[in-house]
Amino acid sequence: MIAVEKLVKSYNSNRVLHGVDHTQAQGEAVVLIGPSGCGKSTFLRCLNQLEIADSGRITIGGLTIDGGHMPRTSAEREQQRQLRIRAGMVFQQFNLFPHRTVLQNITESPVVVKGISKSEAESQARELLAKVGLEKKADAYPAQLSGGQQQRVAIARALAMEPQVMLFDEPTSALDPELRDEVLRVMRQLVEEGMTMIVVTHEMQFARDMADRVLFFDGGQVTESGTPEEIFSNPKHARTREFLSKVATR
Amino acid sequence: MNDVWRLSRLVVCNFIFVLLLASRIFPVFAADHLDEIKSRGVLLWGADAEGGAPYVFPDPDKPEQLTGFEYDFAGALAAKFGVKAKMVQNQWDQLIPALDRGNFDIALNGLEITSDNQQHIIMSLPYFVYAQQIVTRKNTSGLTKLENLKGRAVGVLSATVAQRLVEQMGGADMRIYPGNVECFRDLKSERIEAVVQDLPIALYYAKPDVELKLSGEPFAPGYYGIGVRKQDTTLTAAINKAIKELSEDGTLEKICRKYGIWDQRQAGLKEYQPEAVAQRKSISTLREWPKYLPLLLRGAVTTVELSVLGMALAVTVGLLIVLMRLYAVVPLRWLARAYVEVVRGTPLLIQLFLIYYGLPQVGIKLNAFLAGVLGLGLNYAASEAENYRAGIQSIPKGQMEAAFALGMSWSQALRRVILPQALRLVIPPVTNDFIAMFKDSSIVSVITMVELTKVYGMLAMSTYDYIGLGLMTAGIYFALSYPASILAGRLEERLRYDRR
Repeated sequence: MIAVEKLVKSYNSNRVLHGVDHTQAQGEAVVLIGPSGCGKSTFLRCLNQLEIADSGRITIGGLTIDGGHMPRTSAEREQQRQLRIRAGMVFQQFNLFPHRTVLQNITESPVVVKGISKSEAESQARELLAKVGLEKKADAYPAQLSGGQQQRVAIARALAMEPQVMLFDEPTSALDPELRDEVLRVMRQLVEEGMTMIVVTHEMQFARDMADRVLFFDGGQVTESGTPEEIFSNPKHARTREFLSKVATR
Repeated sequence: MNDVWRLSRLVVCNFIFVLLLASRIFPVFAADHLDEIKSRGVLLWGADAEGGAPYVFPDPDKPEQLTGFEYDFAGALAAKFGVKAKMVQNQWDQLIPALDRGNFDIALNGLEITSDNQQHIIMSLPYFVYAQQIVTRKNTSGLTKLENLKGRAVGVLSATVAQRLVEQMGGADMRIYPGNVECFRDLKSERIEAVVQDLPIALYYAKPDVELKLSGEPFAPGYYGIGVRKQDTTLTAAINKAIKELSEDGTLEKICRKYGIWDQRQAGLKEYQPEAVAQRKSISTLREWPKYLPLLLRGAVTTVELSVLGMALAVTVGLLIVLMRLYAVVPLRWLARAYVEVVRGTPLLIQLFLIYYGLPQVGIKLNAFLAGVLGLGLNYAASEAENYRAGIQSIPKGQMEAAFALGMSWSQALRRVILPQALRLVIPPVTNDFIAMFKDSSIVSVITMVELTKVYGMLAMSTYDYIGLGLMTAGIYFALSYPASILAGRLEERLRYDRR
């Protein structure tokens, strides 16, 4: 489902990704962990073309885009859009559209981008809201919701585009502890439904419980990967052990 | 202790400052100005040197030096009192109120001896016999008499006999100009078909011009006199005596000949008989509001049209500019930035002159209304672009990213996510600008638009009731701008999305 080859990304002279390789099967849930500044968020943003990689190749659901240059022609831009549609993204700061109601947030893109009818988009949106437990909030504005509720709407909004892959960029980091569970519950449900997911997170319990595979990112590379059991109980590298001991005592 | 000292020093300083200020604001009125002029050694005479040839104007050879027949005449007059003459620059159509306020001793600048003028000030004996002259383009024929001008666009100088004559005749499309020169320029660019002016002005500006001609004979002769404040009777007597002497010893003729304006008509100076002027009751425009308010309201309609259309242009052009500045390719970005900086950094008045008088020279001739809308709109577009830019840049980066991540194209993201939020944010500053433009629109009177402030000026000049008309005019401005700000407040409230 996902194939990444030798992905390189620098900001000015600062190299953030050092040729990352990654393959992921359909239905697999992968959790990225690692110290901050290690490049895991950049990796995710490259997958969704919010950052353009300097070099390397990204394939999602059979669609391949090479890094190296900004898309210029309309064909290239269309390809970039198609890749983004395949990969739904959930942000740390939710990024809901504050001037739209919850329902409009979800229907906006299906109607505008995919061109499906408004009524169809709305009934789909209500189903998704029910799924994240917010069917009563359809007509509320984002500012009227708690952070946890906003993030659940953001997940429903990404799902409305029927992506093949879901990317989560620290989805619970901006939330108070008591609000994290409601978001994690929705994510667990998605894993159980067999959604292909990449989750960047500091929620070790979620990684332990739900991940098919855990990748440890350090210095712009995947330095260790394995099942949660392998990574958490028997880490091979000193850096992984150091990191895990820090998170555990936190 | 120290504090008390410092505080009392501050109080004393402030007190001295207020005293100084007061002495500037309230000039001391002497019983009669003649003694004051003599002890001062200077005769202050009010005139307008802007486009003031051949009366008083900057010498073309030495622009820091004034010249003109009235300049020479004022000098000769002052010499009679044994003092020096000093000109005080004042806008021509405001000379009488300024004289009344005490800005100078006499008003000497082609003031016509009319009963209107003598309502508020004394007019001296005449020093020049003028007449009205019609000026047209070389190829125009048939416009030799005032009656021929019915149905034509006619330019006159503000607050002159010419304006009153054309007004009284009625039926002409009269355009009122603040200065001498602009009407001839509009005549040449075919915005108007004729100009009615005092003969000396026509002789000086139009006669040497190959594109223009004096059409028909001079008509409606009258006298120029010197304006003096009503209480200055001794000064008036002294001035009249001096004028008589200057006329009899040939000084006056010599001065006029120097500027090519002496003609046989000047014999009339000797036959002048002052007429008794019936003093009209002073007019209270507030009490007679049904007569004046409709005139002001008609001006207000133009003001509203100008500012609504001007603002519509400004918000549209401003949006194009900000999109260019933020998102276009590099040369266009610079262009947009340059536009904002240049337009913001230059006065609206000069931009209006360029549009109205400058564009015809490259073949683009706009009427005064369009030029006014364009001038206001393009000027405010720069501020609106800056308002938008602040609005757009205050939208968090994550909004654009979320739109992209959902598969929207750049233009979809801009139209559906960024701009709707940014535009809500800029409602208050844009409303502010709208109200500012509403008031700024009075500046288009310099290109002959008669809007609210201009109507006020014209009525105030003829009724001399600056306070009553001023209150009414200010009331209209307020009555129109306040609802606009209430409406904007409602709109802002309705579009809020951060209600909890």
